[in-house]
Amino acid sequence: MNTSPILQLKQISKRFGGLQALQNVDFDLYEGETHALVGENGAGKSTLMRILSGVYPEFEGEFLFDNRPTQLHSPSDALSRGIGMIHQELSVLPQLSVAENVFLGRQPLTPFRTIDWGRMNRVADEELAKLGFEIDVRRPLETYSLGIHQVVEVLRVILSGARVLIMDEPTSALSPAEVERLVELINRLRSQNRSIIYISHFLEEVMRVADRITVLRDGRKVAMLRKDETSMNQLIAHILGHEVNASLPTAAVRKNTNVMLNVQGLTADAFQNIDFDVGVGEVVGLYGPVGAGHFDVARALYGMYRYDQGTITLEGKPFPRTFSARDAIRRGIAYATESRRKSLFLDQANYRNITLPHLARIGGFAPSERKELAVAEPAMKRVHVQPHEPTSEVGKLSGGNQQKVAIARWLTYPPKVLIVSEPTRGMDVGAKNEVLSILRTFRNEGYAVLIVSSEPETVLAVCDRILVMSRGKIVRELENSEDLNKDALMRLI
Amino acid sequence: MTTAQPEALSPRSRPETTAQARGRLLRTLAPLWTLLALGGFFAIVSDSFLNPINLNNILVQVSTLAILGTGMTFVLLTGEIDLSIAALVTWIGVLSAHFFANLGVGEPWVTLSALVVSTFMGLISGIATTRLRIPSFMATLAMSLIASGLAIWISQGRIVFELSPWVQYLGSGRIGGQNGIRVMTVLAALCLLIAFLVLRYTRFGRYVYMTGANKSAARLAGVNTDNIVIACLAISGFTAGLAGLVLTGRLASAQPQVINSLLIDTIGAVVLGGTSLAGGRGGVLQTIMGLLIYGTLRNGLDNIGRDFDPPFLGLTSVEPINQFAKDFITGVVLLFALVVNVLLAGRSSRDKTG
Repeated sequence: MNTSPILQLKQISKRFGGLQALQNVDFDLYEGETHALVGENGAGKSTLMRILSGVYPEFEGEFLFDNRPTQLHSPSDALSRGIGMIHQELSVLPQLSVAENVFLGRQPLTPFRTIDWGRMNRVADEELAKLGFEIDVRRPLETYSLGIHQVVEVLRVILSGARVLIMDEPTSALSPAEVERLVELINRLRSQNRSIIYISHFLEEVMRVADRITVLRDGRKVAMLRKDETSMNQLIAHILGHEVNASLPTAAVRKNTNVMLNVQGLTADAFQNIDFDVGVGEVVGLYGPVGAGHFDVARALYGMYRYDQGTITLEGKPFPRTFSARDAIRRGIAYATESRRKSLFLDQANYRNITLPHLARIGGFAPSERKELAVAEPAMKRVHVQPHEPTSEVGKLSGGNQQKVAIARWLTYPPKVLIVSEPTRGMDVGAKNEVLSILRTFRNEGYAVLIVSSEPETVLAVCDRILVMSRGKIVRELENSEDLNKDALMRLI
Repeated sequence: MTTAQPEALSPRSRPETTAQARGRLLRTLAPLWTLLALGGFFAIVSDSFLNPINLNNILVQVSTLAILGTGMTFVLLTGEIDLSIAALVTWIGVLSAHFFANLGVGEPWVTLSALVVSTFMGLISGIATTRLRIPSFMATLAMSLIASGLAIWISQGRIVFELSPWVQYLGSGRIGGQNGIRVMTVLAALCLLIAFLVLRYTRFGRYVYMTGANKSAARLAGVNTDNIVIACLAISGFTAGLAGLVLTGRLASAQPQVINSLLIDTIGAVVLGGTSLAGGRGGVLQTIMGLLIYGTLRNGLDNIGRDFDPPFLGLTSVEPINQFAKDFITGVVLLFALVVNVLLAGRSSRDKTG
């Protein structure tokens, strides 16, 4: 390894309003090195990554690239200097050929200013072979797996001149075989003397690919570990900030006697063989890292995601092969999505957001505003929407209160099953606790509740039982108890 | 569960800040200022503009547009568009004349079948848009070609002068004697009134707005957005058919040539009133305002043409210059009014976040 780092961050701080996202963080990267960045959600990984890739040009601290103070103005500026970003959401165009994707935006030209297809295909072919991939570069990219899409994106960034690659959660959507291939790819890139910043939730992978690991917690750098000198337990201890207590509870998982929702062998592209049930008055958590497929399972239960196999049974009555959200609501399933922007009408009045699914019941042909308010007001009061203004727009509320409106929608005509995705995402502690306590009260009212989340705190706080999902499969079922903690959950994924 | 207590309603939402209220007022009333400004301008430069006979003329002139605009309002509110209306107008006119003159079909069957056919064609556009996922822009464009093609084909390119008594009555009849109000004006007012009530007060109306405001959210709330879009395009087909009968009656002949300006005028008037092309915003009141602006503009330009020639153009000797410049001026005013609308809308949305 070289003596001086290619990239060096000194005492980086970044503040958003009242939130100190990063505080005095140091980070460096040598040529040919893979340096992993780990930490919990909200630890500051994303912020650091955005500073590194030029998304946030303004911050405190020193940014040295090739030993020179550097100011990145934008992601494209960063790339032109040699820092390329591989996003979790790939920016490939699946309809175009593999070669076209490799050369997207900078296709080789003939003297007549037309695209030089021969050269483009040849170079793409050669470069892919160097990385160990023998594929037909003339075929549309969509005919290949997600793993290949990623390889193509990596190659594109490299050919754009990147010496430093930032990879954000590269494996979250990959199958185990594809993860193996990615690890190989990273080893090959390392042998080509390229530097990689690797951001991932999957600690096992991190331990496999990284040379060094920087741990962030609450916006601070808490440790910089050499892979050879550390262990998984040490790593987790640094991430959590206390000694690992990862013993799984031994209590047998209790069998439901009063099953409300039963799911058998549910399979689609994003998840396989999902089996579980939710009982009357039970809160079940479906927990997994982003990309594990748990959000898609929720959508499938609501008729918004097509599944290929399996059965969904509610109170003993099986669902038809395909059904719409409307059918799901009629049968008694309610769903609040992880995206408030997609599920709420932000520029419409609160009461209209709450009554929309029930308009037929409220007023038949022509519901009056008075009747609608009579439904919406008590619902809003029950979840303490602040400020209580039924005729004001939802968009004017804070995120936490918007979430309460999304839940209030399902209070007036109680469903049999309530599915809530990421009930507390992006909320401050106060709002979080409030929403969680609302969810707890549902259990006592005989709802069957399914909480779908990537935040361990959320499922641990309200769920009776937790199903852990990883890469599209349920890998473990746990009874929630005093003994169960975040450490154990994080070990499982 | 807690029971609903209607009597315990809390006071309405907190009053807006004066700046917000002013911004909103400016935006919603922008079309009114445009109307007043245009009206004032024409009242000054033309002696005949404010004449009651002329004002009545404006109403007659916008009647066809109003019927078409009613359907277009539904379609635009869902965030879709209907480009087939002008062709449907022509086709339905030809169809009704063909039924009556060549096939000997009597009333009410001529009128009924014409309306059923136009509604059905709107329905087909809707099904193509939703179930087959062809953007409404393309689906209705294709439907436009189908309708105009049918008109030419069935008529063999000939104008038909023999019209059924119902069609004649719809286009040129009056209620209340020689100087009474025109049937088509009453019909237009009726269309607008029904549309207003439906959009403002019914469940279907709410679904229309919510579908346009946020399609994914509407679907998540259990609204069958496909059916809403289909229904709105079918309504637009119906109003296009009705307008076709009215216009045929007014022209006293069924002409196979499509009057393309009808499409632009309808969309122009509806959008000018403040109904958003993106869906979810606007309504019948806005459409009425847009129609009045449009009617005032077209009629006012006619009046100027009659007794005023702008000397700065240096064309005073050429009498009909304004007739030829009419479209140009309408286009410029339309663009200007739209720019003002967009600017005001942008302003108010900044107010919200700021």
